[in-house]
Amino acid sequence: MTTLSNAANATAPKAARRMRRRLPGIGESLVLSLAGFAILFGGWWLLARSGLVPEQVLPGPDAVLAEILHLMRTPFAGSTLQMHLLSSIGRYLMGLALAVAVGLPLGLLMGWSRRVERAISPVFEALRFIAPIAWLPFATLWFGTGIGGPILIIFSGAFPPCVINAYYGAKLIPTPILEASRTLGASSLRMLTDVLAPGALPSIIAGVRIAAGIGWQSLVGAELIVVSSGVGYLMMQGQTNLSTAVVMAGMAAIGVTGFAIDVLLRLIESRIQKGALA
Amino acid sequence: MAQAVRAGRRGRAGMPQVVSRGGLLSFLVVLGLWALATGPLDLVGPARFPSPADFWQSGVQIVTRGYAGGTLLTQVWHSLRLVLFGFVVASATGVGLGLLMGLSPRAEKLINPTFLLLRPIPPLAWIPLAILWFGLGDAAKIFVIWYAAFVPSVINTLTGVRGVDRTILSAAEVHGASRSQLVRDVVIPAALPMIFTGLRLSLQACWTTLVAAELVGAFFGIGRVLMTASQDVNPGMILFAMVCVAILGAGTTWLLGTLERRAMPWRQA
Amino acid sequence: MISPSTATSGPDIAFRKVSKVYGNAEGGFVALDKVDLTVSRHEFVAIVGPSGCGKTTLMRMAAGLDFPTSGDVLVRDRQVEGPGPDRAVVFQQFALMPWKTVRDNIGFGLKCRGAAPSEIKQVTDRYITMMRLQGHESAFPHQLSGGMQQRVAIARSYAVDPDVLLMDEPFGALDAQTRLVMQEELVQLSRVNPRTVVFITHSVEEAVFLADRIVVMGRNPGRIVEIIDVKSLRLSERWDELPIEEVMDLESFTHMRTRVWKLLKDTKRSTAA
Repeated sequence: MTTLSNAANATAPKAARRMRRRLPGIGESLVLSLAGFAILFGGWWLLARSGLVPEQVLPGPDAVLAEILHLMRTPFAGSTLQMHLLSSIGRYLMGLALAVAVGLPLGLLMGWSRRVERAISPVFEALRFIAPIAWLPFATLWFGTGIGGPILIIFSGAFPPCVINAYYGAKLIPTPILEASRTLGASSLRMLTDVLAPGALPSIIAGVRIAAGIGWQSLVGAELIVVSSGVGYLMMQGQTNLSTAVVMAGMAAIGVTGFAIDVLLRLIESRIQKGALA
Repeated sequence: MAQAVRAGRRGRAGMPQVVSRGGLLSFLVVLGLWALATGPLDLVGPARFPSPADFWQSGVQIVTRGYAGGTLLTQVWHSLRLVLFGFVVASATGVGLGLLMGLSPRAEKLINPTFLLLRPIPPLAWIPLAILWFGLGDAAKIFVIWYAAFVPSVINTLTGVRGVDRTILSAAEVHGASRSQLVRDVVIPAALPMIFTGLRLSLQACWTTLVAAELVGAFFGIGRVLMTASQDVNPGMILFAMVCVAILGAGTTWLLGTLERRAMPWRQA
Repeated sequence: MISPSTATSGPDIAFRKVSKVYGNAEGGFVALDKVDLTVSRHEFVAIVGPSGCGKTTLMRMAAGLDFPTSGDVLVRDRQVEGPGPDRAVVFQQFALMPWKTVRDNIGFGLKCRGAAPSEIKQVTDRYITMMRLQGHESAFPHQLSGGMQQRVAIARSYAVDPDVLLMDEPFGALDAQTRLVMQEELVQLSRVNPRTVVFITHSVEEAVFLADRIVVMGRNPGRIVEIIDVKSLRLSERWDELPIEEVMDLESFTHMRTRVWKLLKDTKRSTAA
């Protein structure tokens, strides 16, 4: 990572060099990072322990960890923490897959064909400003408490970045390549699979990563309201039971999973970028 | 939400202009299809999706008589006020923290790991906790809105400061700029495009979070209207509230865009 | 596609009163004004002219990438309605797909046509050898020099076995040395594999060396100024038997070159007036 300081070169004038000297060494930065964590967790622990805030409002980090372990063995709100998480991930993957499967081809076609772009982009632009979570009432109306509802909401969150990034990726493909493919007799399907998709790949991957993030967050929103399983549901049950520790355990599970998804996609992204340069 | 950084950069150029003859046409086509599908063709039942007439009646109802405890104006104003307040506070604190972390490697090393730890928890996941802590009133909404906007503000400001062109920095130094002058006249203006990218993402996150929070539980607001309409199985009102949310989002984004152009006159393209 | 046996004896390409106007009829820019041109079977026609004379537009119309405002463009007596594999285009920017290997780029047209993998392999092998690309089959375009990239692009066009080859300044992006080599190779290739060729170029020397006929175009409006026959001169002076550098030294060559140059200069002057 480039910080303001370590990129300054040797010939940089005084103040820039002054900034450079401020760069902590590896040892110091480790100490500082640990200090940061210590302040966060220590402060939290002390505050919980001091009795200034009741345990019910702010359980300490130790209590939350104990709650996580407890939830992993004893079912709460219907099942254990990992089973809730599993049902969340299942829904999430379905919604995301649907958004990718519909969004990417649509975006590529919009980037390729002026006609498709003109027909779709006004409607798309108008729908884009509706927050994904605002689809929730219709999701309930159309699908009840079934699986369709959360999928619709994840879809509406993950769909726009898929379309937009595929669109820009396709726009960035040089016109001669598109024309050459057409003169060689490529059909629309062949254009999509052999020209537009590989040409827009870097942008597509970035889009899928954004979509994955927004989709995960939309899922949480959906689960807070419409379903009867999943981590969001677990948290809502915790809230109704006034059990802050359960709510915090749910937040930790959501955070860790979201982080893991992002790391996984970054890994795939760098793999593909390396492959493209090979 | 680091991925948002790239989204913002891509989003800069924006999608092609909507306001064109072709755009209007495809809009009218959609309106026509809507009227046909819910009216003469009867493809979609009125309990599933409203007809244009249902939509219009719901609009009239909420504007004149009110719905879910207030007229449209009071409901919208309630939500808008919360978003604006949360957004402004979050921008100020977020940009401030981002600048601090960008300018001082020590501060970055101290804060960033903690920040990285909290970042993957989406703002919506804070809603149950906020309700436990602050109840169903405005304080809980402001807290989650603040969190939603705070994170992208910090990340994009930090990215912006890190990306400042070293040549410009050196040039300013050669001309004898002090450290405070450097920050004020070089670092901040140079980071401003990224900062605004962060603010735009923040604003979107604010609306999403507010609607979600009001859906989970609220006394007033446009999300409350949405939830009541859902419970009453009133598709016309649901759609009307959704359109209101979209217009509010688009309107505030437009406002921010105007502010952005004012703040960076040198970026006129 | 029409197979050679059923082909009529008419010209391979015919432009009939082709006009292209941008903007509205009165205030519009006339890119081409009633252009008439026919290209015979296996003839090599080079088009030269100042920028804005509409030479690229003419070629793109034959390719089916652009359409006339009025007039007809016929390829083998058929109105051109869009791109087709009977016509292949070689672009100045090579237009190779960066994500496909040399072999996959060359075989792309055949793949589009639904050819069997064995056939694709056989044809690509032949052109890889012919264009001296052996050992680079699995390389990606960015790993090749400009000259090699253009050889891949030419091989890709030949691989679909088109009746007509349309080349838009194919050597324009190459350095002078590579350009000479490629010009000679193109001459050799057209001897082994005769094709109807329309070749757009900025280089008068290139046109004189390669073409059977040179079409000199002028601009404002885009039109044909003169069509010069080079074939008879080439045959009588036996250019084909000499290497390119020596041909370019012959008096017959330089004489012809000067003639085309003068024509081009006159068209520019007449535009300025």
